[in-house]
Amino acid sequence: MSAHSPDRAFANDDVRMLRDSVIDFVKRGTDIKRVRRLRGTQPGFERAVWRQMAEFGWLGILVPEQYGGLGLGCTEMAIVAAGTASALTPEPLTAAAVLAGGAIARGDNEALKRELLEALVAGSLIPALAWQERAGSLDTAAVATRAEPFEAAFKLNGSKNFVAGAAGADGFTVSAQTRDGLALYWVPADTNGLTLELQPLADGRATGVVRLSDVIVPEEHVIASPACAAAALQAALDTTLVMASAEMFGVMGRALDMSVDYMKTRVQFGKPIGSFQALAHRAVDLHIQRELSSAVLDDAVALFDSAAAPARLSAMASRVKARCSEAGLRITREAIQIHGAIGFTDEYDAGLYLKRAMTLSAWLGNAALHRRRYAALAAVDAE
Amino acid sequence: MTPPDFNALSDEEFRAEARAFFARHYPPHLRYIVRRARLAEMKQWYLTLSKHGWIAPNWPREYGGMGLATAKMIILLEEQEQYGVSRVPDHGIVQVGPILMKYGSAEQKNYYLPKILAGEHIWGQGYSEPNAGSDLASLVTSAVPDGDDFIVNGQKIWTTLAHDSTHIYLLARTSKEGKKQEGISFLLVDAQSPGITIRPIRNIAGHEEFCEVFFENVRVPQANLVGGLNKGWTVAKALLAFERVNIGSPRRPQYALKRLAQLARAKGLFSDPGFVDKFTALRLDLEDLGSLYARYVDVVKRGEELGQEVSMLKIWAMESWQRLTDLLLETAQEYGGMPGELNIDGAEVDVLSPFYYARPGTIYGGSSEIQRNILAKYVLKLPS
Repeated sequence: MSAHSPDRAFANDDVRMLRDSVIDFVKRGTDIKRVRRLRGTQPGFERAVWRQMAEFGWLGILVPEQYGGLGLGCTEMAIVAAGTASALTPEPLTAAAVLAGGAIARGDNEALKRELLEALVAGSLIPALAWQERAGSLDTAAVATRAEPFEAAFKLNGSKNFVAGAAGADGFTVSAQTRDGLALYWVPADTNGLTLELQPLADGRATGVVRLSDVIVPEEHVIASPACAAAALQAALDTTLVMASAEMFGVMGRALDMSVDYMKTRVQFGKPIGSFQALAHRAVDLHIQRELSSAVLDDAVALFDSAAAPARLSAMASRVKARCSEAGLRITREAIQIHGAIGFTDEYDAGLYLKRAMTLSAWLGNAALHRRRYAALAAVDAE
Repeated sequence: MTPPDFNALSDEEFRAEARAFFARHYPPHLRYIVRRARLAEMKQWYLTLSKHGWIAPNWPREYGGMGLATAKMIILLEEQEQYGVSRVPDHGIVQVGPILMKYGSAEQKNYYLPKILAGEHIWGQGYSEPNAGSDLASLVTSAVPDGDDFIVNGQKIWTTLAHDSTHIYLLARTSKEGKKQEGISFLLVDAQSPGITIRPIRNIAGHEEFCEVFFENVRVPQANLVGGLNKGWTVAKALLAFERVNIGSPRRPQYALKRLAQLARAKGLFSDPGFVDKFTALRLDLEDLGSLYARYVDVVKRGEELGQEVSMLKIWAMESWQRLTDLLLETAQEYGGMPGELNIDGAEVDVLSPFYYARPGTIYGGSSEIQRNILAKYVLKLPS
């Protein structure tokens, strides 16, 4: 049984409760009808469900105990990410609790950390991370947004793209260049000079463009000084790549189960279509992709929960994102083919899974991009 | 001599021991050969392994094996691969030994096992027939009781190194009643018996490694029956779990990846993004296979049963291996059609051998299609 599977046996009671909460949530707390209803709306998710996630402790899984979190690891977070994604849950769990929260937790402003993380864990504050500017670039330093000293504060100017979980975010963790290097700033959503434009995603959720025009950030809202900001951002990104992969794993698993079930019940030429070898072998190949994804994901969460060096973590993050993105897209694409015409209808769920896979694949680098990043990070042994 | 208890060593001590053993004893001219080495080349190495008690890593120590725990078995295979150590003709070690330990009579064990260890008996596998390949249970080679003997008639094919074998372990039809799997028996046959003709078959790599074997009124003592009359299918299927995992190990394709990297480096292709994209995709296919493989190895290490899902390892390992050798050929450009050891831009590479030897990987031991049938039926539970 794989580590991120909710069926895995755990020694620890907290973790067992966590696992049970995921199973319960996926069974009863959410359903595809709700997902359909929320498509294209703003913010595209429900605060009540978000509060429920807070009660389960999910928002604090990766948050250290001294800031009110559970101080658990990627193993536990992956269970929740995969489980909720398998039900296409639209709440911005990974974007807020892993990406934005992860950057905040790795900052060097104790007072702000305490304030923001405690509110995040409690479910009363949803942060989003605004770092990326250009499509296809994962270089955290390739940032045109500037922070200039201004009286006892900073003045931010620039534009951020692809901000996950921006709809409904209470504030943004913004990366900007300073004379001393990259830094991270906390900018509440209602700050003067900040404008948010939402762009729809294929799966009915939205991503944000955050524009900063002479936005004043007081010194106490510096999340991470240049001493630690680049490393903090990189670590948060790499962890999020693993969790996005876990989400993809949840999506592909459900899509493949749906397809295999359909192959057992759909009858043509007087037989269930799953008895036809061309289709059966196709399903087996998809199953192999799912199992490869699962094995790499297991290794990735184990490595992230160990004390591995950042470069190794980055390479592993790219490896798992490459495999899961490719497998997830392939499985959900082929789910449409296996279902035939019904799979191409909006009323059937296969399309919803394909669209979630498309947005997860495109988020923070698709398979092709991560294979290149992996090649750049991990030397080839040709001895 | 009784071999030392290797399991008493730590994993790292054992690894160092294995490395030192190969460096000290393995003939340098036989390192990294891709083809299946013949007995004449490997005999000396077989005897060296035998003399030092290293010939049967998988056998328990009471039978003269190394009795290696799974973790150490894997270390040994890794070091073997790392040093480029070829397989000896090992059907006796890998197949016949464990089968006799499980199903053989005391006489069979006492007679055959020491001779396998000593290299006196070399075994070939008589399973496939011209009309029984993937559908092995359709085999028709017959064994009819006659006095204290069976009389065997028929033809076996794809018998690896039969021309180097002193003995053949055989699946023969002893009954035509009921299910075809239930009329098969497992026999031990002396290859020198009158009526046996062995004819080597040249493979596409140009080597004579497998053979066809003809049986014409061959007398086989009934005492050579293993596991009981009509129980041969059960005996043949009782492969060690470890063997089923081992065939899906990333080691063989990793070797091809290294050759490809060597060639690419010589040709300066690591600055060509088109090549790097293809190469990295295959490299990750192997890395990810490594993760999947490790998961099954852990299952075996814990002493748990492996399910049918282990079939996916073989599919992915063998098909990844083929994709790698396809790219090796493509990368070699004009040299991709030339046999033998070549000098390509300063790199010494044999391009075609890895390509050829990756071909049967998706055929032997249950073809990729058969493995997919197994997964469809037993894992996905699709209707048939």
